[in-house]
Amino acid sequence: MSEVKISEVKHNCQNHEKCMEMIQAVLDGSASKEEMEHFKNEMDTCLPCIEGHNLEKSIKDALNVKLEKKCCPKATVSSIREKLGFATLFIAFAILQIKVIQAVF
Amino acid sequence: MEEEEEVLDKKPRYSETEKYKVFDSEFMPHIDSMYNFAFRLTNDEDGANDLVQDTYLKAFRFINSFQKGTNAKAWLFRILKNSFINDYRKKSKEPAKVDYQEVESVYNSADEPQYNGTVDLRTEMVHDLIGDEVAMSLNGLPVDFRTVIILCDIEGFTYEEMAKILDIPIGTVRSRLHRARNLLKEKLRSYATSMGYKELR
Repeated sequence: MSEVKISEVKHNCQNHEKCMEMIQAVLDGSASKEEMEHFKNEMDTCLPCIEGHNLEKSIKDALNVKLEKKCCPKATVSSIREKLGFATLFIAFAILQIKVIQAVF
Repeated sequence: MEEEEEVLDKKPRYSETEKYKVFDSEFMPHIDSMYNFAFRLTNDEDGANDLVQDTYLKAFRFINSFQKGTNAKAWLFRILKNSFINDYRKKSKEPAKVDYQEVESVYNSADEPQYNGTVDLRTEMVHDLIGDEVAMSLNGLPVDFRTVIILCDIEGFTYEEMAKILDIPIGTVRSRLHRARNLLKEKLRSYATSMGYKELR
């Protein structure tokens, strides 16, 4: 906002829905080069877009920070490993090693 | 089902020992994100456990269709999403699968209440919401809209990755996300106003 005079700032946005889609793409890191360029050049001149940007950012942050991140229970991890036979594979590997050692000595 | 078969198409590549190594090094590091995604989809811990187990067993069974060093997280998320749609919803006898086209046409119609920027919801209101209110707002969205928000805002997938996970064009990811966010704002605004916030503008 520093280089834009207050009088130059638009208070109405003709394409607000389209602008918001672009602003969201910028915040999501998925905007095209042209959109990034447009965003850099025009963002500071449109009040509804500035406010929309701040609101989108705050919602994105809230979803990230305020929602509890659930961790997978250890029992579920163990159950998956068990069903896939990780224990069997480990035992088979250990038996094989013992047999190799016995054969050598 | 066809798309799932396509993703899970078997192409023998790994030895038995390699399979376990790939599973451990490429798939297991994502198990917390997978559980979190499953929980947000089902809103139920038992359901999330079943879905994660089912996904990991499928991933192991079809491990030969996974190219080592590629995006394992996106691959696993796609399997989980398909399992949720094809298996979990049927088992849990939830309402029939939501038709994306139908949902989108409803929210795309001329009667759609376009979210009017900051007139209702304001940044400071969002700051003051607690986690439960954000979670309930998210849970209140139709599952197809909830999914895009989870993938983008919580899991940080790009639009390109989301297009692959959901098997839809990037343009549809973008517009679906936009509509989902407008709906989420409506839900958040309801919680904020019920907390006593007044529409000041």
